[in-house]
Parts: sequence; C-alpha cells; structure tokens
Amino acid sequence: MTLRYDQVSYSYPGTSTGVFDIALEIGRGELLAIIGASGSGKSTILKLLAGFLKPDTGRILIDGKDVGASLPEARRLGVVFQNYALFPHMRLWENIAYPLKVRGIAKQARRARAIEMLGRVGMGKRAEDYPAELSGGQQQRVALARALVFEPQGLLLDEPLSALDAGLRLEMRDEILRVQRQAGIATLLVTHDQEEALSIADKVVMMRDGRIVQIGTPRELYETPADASVAAFVGQSNLWSGSVSGDGMVTTPIGALACDTHGKSLGTKVTVFVRPERVEPITGPVDASNPCCFAGSMSADRYLGPVRRIDMAVAGGAIRLETHLRGPITGVTIPHDAIRLLPPTS
Amino acid sequence: MPFVAIAYLIFLAAPVLLLFVGSFGEVWSGTLLPSGFTWRWYQEVAGDPSFRRAFTTSLKIVATTCILNILIGLPLAYAIHAGARGGVRLAARIVTLMPIAVPELVLAFGFILVFSSDALPWLGSFWLLAAGHLVLTLPYTVTALVADMDQLGLAEYEHAAATLGASFPARMWDVTLPQLHTSLLSCMLTVAALSIGEFQLSNLVSGFLSRTYPVVLLQAFYGATGFACAATVVLLGLAMIASLTSGLTARVTGRRKVGADA
Repeated sequence: MTLRYDQVSYSYPGTSTGVFDIALEIGRGELLAIIGASGSGKSTILKLLAGFLKPDTGRILIDGKDVGASLPEARRLGVVFQNYALFPHMRLWENIAYPLKVRGIAKQARRARAIEMLGRVGMGKRAEDYPAELSGGQQQRVALARALVFEPQGLLLDEPLSALDAGLRLEMRDEILRVQRQAGIATLLVTHDQEEALSIADKVVMMRDGRIVQIGTPRELYETPADASVAAFVGQSNLWSGSVSGDGMVTTPIGALACDTHGKSLGTKVTVFVRPERVEPITGPVDASNPCCFAGSMSADRYLGPVRRIDMAVAGGAIRLETHLRGPITGVTIPHDAIRLLPPTS
Repeated sequence: MPFVAIAYLIFLAAPVLLLFVGSFGEVWSGTLLPSGFTWRWYQEVAGDPSFRRAFTTSLKIVATTCILNILIGLPLAYAIHAGARGGVRLAARIVTLMPIAVPELVLAFGFILVFSSDALPWLGSFWLLAAGHLVLTLPYTVTALVADMDQLGLAEYEHAAATLGASFPARMWDVTLPQLHTSLLSCMLTVAALSIGEFQLSNLVSGFLSRTYPVVLLQAFYGATGFACAATVVLLGLAMIASLTSGLTARVTGRRKVGADA
C-alpha cells in the first residue's frame, strides 16, 4: 500500500494559511516524517490524509485510488493522536476492539484479537483496565495497538511522543519503530522534534509556511540542508552571511574561509554553514598563519554529558563547536571540507 | 469563624425548618412557633383533588421538560459545538440564552398573545405549558452541554472513532453520548429543579386542568397556615424527588452504556 499526495493544496477558510503544492509519496513499510515549526502546515498534511480536511486542489491517493472525497471512516488509516484519544469509558481491550466492533466482528473474536494486540505492545495483563489507570507511555502503546488492529492501509502518527517525558520518549520511539516495521505499513509521522524524525524516519520532509522546503533521508537533511532554515531547524549549526571572494574562498564576519565554492562567481552572496561537531578545538597555541584557525575565548560552555557545546568568541563573531575534550580551549579550526555554502537568506 | 458559618446555615435553613415545623402544628397564629401536633394538614392536602391533580401535572411537566431538553437540547448543543464557528457560534449562543435574559412574565405575555388567537388556540393546554418550560430551561441545558463538549475535547475522540471506521451514528452512540452522561445528569437535575418550582409562566399559561403545583400552592396561603406549610413541604419533597429521579435515571443510563460491550 502506498500513500501519495499529488499537488495537494488547502487553505483554511478565510485565511491565506494552509499547505500548497504538496507532492509526497510514502511506500509500503516506509516511515516518512514531517518536521517544521508550529504553523508550518505539517499537521494539516496529516489531517488531509486522514480525511478531516478536504483538499482544495490536487489528489490524495491510497494505493492508487483517489480518496480526496472519502470520509475518514472509509479510508482505513490508523491514526495515533497527540493525546492518544483513548475512549475513557471503555476498557483497554474494548478500546482496541472498537474498530473490529464497527466492522461487525463477533465479540469473542474481537476480544481475542484485542488481547493479542495488547500482548504485542507489552500490555497483555492490563486488558480490563481503563485508560485513566495507565501512564502516558502505556496509553501510547494502547493507542498504537488500536490503530493497527484492523490492518489499516497506512499509519498516521500526530506528534505521538510530545506528551511523554524525555526518558520515555526514547523508549517509545524504538517501540513505535519496532511495531511499524513488524506491521510493514506505510507511515506518516508528524513531529516538531527533529531528533525524533532523524532517528526513526526513512525520509524526512521539512515544511515552512505551508510548503515543502526539502525532502530527503535524515542524513541528507542533516548534512546537505537546502537552505539556512533547514540547517537551523535540523540540529545545531553555525551560519554566517558571506560572499565568494575568490576561487575556493569566502569572506564572512569572522574572516576568510577556505572551502569548495563550486565555481560560484566572485561576489556571489552565500550563507556559510558549518556543523558544530565539525569544528575542531585547539588547546595549545593558535597558528595565526592558517586562515582556517581562529583564536578566541569561550563565551559559553555547556556540559551535555558526553560532549560540551562551546561558543567561542572570535574576532567578528562567534563559532559554536561540540567536543569531547574537557580542558580549556584556546581556538578552533574549521576544516575546509566541513564548510557548505547555502543560498543567502533574504 | 465556625459560629458565623453555623449562624449563616441556620439563617438559610430557617424558612424551610419553620415550614416543616408549621406543617405539623395544630395552631399557629401570633406566636413564634406553632402549638400542638397533627397530621391533619397533610391529610387535607392529600385529599384535595386540585392539589392531587396539580401534583401529577407537575410530575408530568417535569418529565416532559427533561425529555424535550434531551431531544432538542442535546442535538442543538452538538450542532453549536461541532458545526458553528465564529459569528454563527456567537449568534447561536445568544439566541439560546435569550430566555434567561428576558423576564418570564414577558415570555408568558408573548405566549398569551400568540396562543390565545383563533389560529393557535392552545393557551391552557398541557403541551403549551411544557413548551414554555422547555423555553425557560433549554438555555441551561445547551450552555452546560456546549461547555462540557468543548472541555471534554469530543472532537478528537470523534476523529479517532472515525478513523477506526465508525459511522456518524456509531460515533454518537458509542463515543459521544457515553462521555456526556455526567453532563446530561447535571443538566437534568437543573432542569427538574427549575421546572418543578416555576411559577410565573405557569400561572399565566396553564389552564384550569393543567395547573402545576406551585400555581395551586398560591391558593393555600389564603387558607390555614398549617395547610399552606404542608402544601409547601410537599413541593419541596416533589422538587427533591424529581431531581433525584432524573439524576438516577441519567446515572443508570450512563452506567448501562459504559458497561456495554465494545
């Protein structure tokens, strides 16, 4: 089963906000994550696929069939909501059996199937409990089981981990991935947490102002962001405005940097992008003759456990780096292959 | 502070207590408390055909008003909650709240004007009285239900049920109504309490054979004090029974639905 958006646009009535020209495809067993800031349109994309909103233009196809005009109940898509939406008046097995009940499955059969699904998410002994008796993580598991019990054509996850605390989020991230892989189902994950998206998605879509900015694998988004907004949203980054000052050289507020300019003409405006972990710390004397070396002082030093995130104040600005070193740092080196040139910010 | 609280409670309960005491007093004239003890006033109230008829009418009006509130108020509240947006939602809320803002007397005069004509000669009928009680109580039901629907986040549960394959009727029956049973219970308590004690509109709109208990009760105050007290205590009892009955009914219905098979 594949899920596809074919040039879909939707505007909220009376506003100019919505999503525009969305073209996406999620293959069988694939997990596609949509990330973006609040109001970027990522939840709208999910609502359009779920059938809560109808596209103004374009088509939404499930396994090749246009479902744009179909009601949510006719689409056979499992949805896990941000707050789980477990029915509070039903026991856990009743919650999971509900999609089977509306499909006319006999009580004994649906109860057995529900308990089997509860077992698959490690909740087999809690079948008679009510949702209010569970922790957030447990409710999440039940919601996942309920969304998968009727063998849907696709799975939609709407910020499924945002209500959980940090430790549980990591655990549930793996759990979702395990269950999704086991079911081999096309999955759309909407999240504002870029780390969550990078860690479990096969493909990531970055949204801004209702439009897709970039689609790619997590590695592509992280290492070759399309522009400064993607670079800034996905992970930590150093971003400087600059211009090409010669073959293999760019000028920035912190000084000239040697890098591959990809034949860009002299004076071309660019955004210079470097990931903090690619910046190399210097603990001894700084070689002033090396244009890639910068002497400076630490203006911020954040202890993050395995690494330190340091802001080095240098002439003309600051350079952020991440390092395992524990001692004082006197300067940094920016290797030329760590530098990428992005389009200038408007 | 406890003394102030107790004094305040006594102040609140004193009229009811005095009515209760007075209903068993043989003679109560010119004294702080009645003298003697008798069941006579209750026997007289029970034996009075007009009081008996009014008692039954009030029960029927309360039951009818509660049922109409559910049948009309629930869909109306749901429509406002689910469908109305912005200005439409505000307009719907204002229209439903109008009967609270408008004095009951004004409403009653409106009923008299419209329903005493030859074209609509229904003034004095049971159903017109029930309609009047419905108009007076519906705003409370709709306001409370819309607020609870918003607070419960019903939209997300309904979306969830829809994605699980439930049709609109299935969603209403399996997901929406069971979650509203507590709201309905409290609404029915309010409606029953309002309807049972309603006097102004009932006094003007009811006919001789459809007079409610409070309307007939007014006559009791022209007679013996003990009789008036006993008749009033009956109204108090009636209000409590009506509230408890509607409340229990809603609770039992809710439990039954909650316990239903998934």
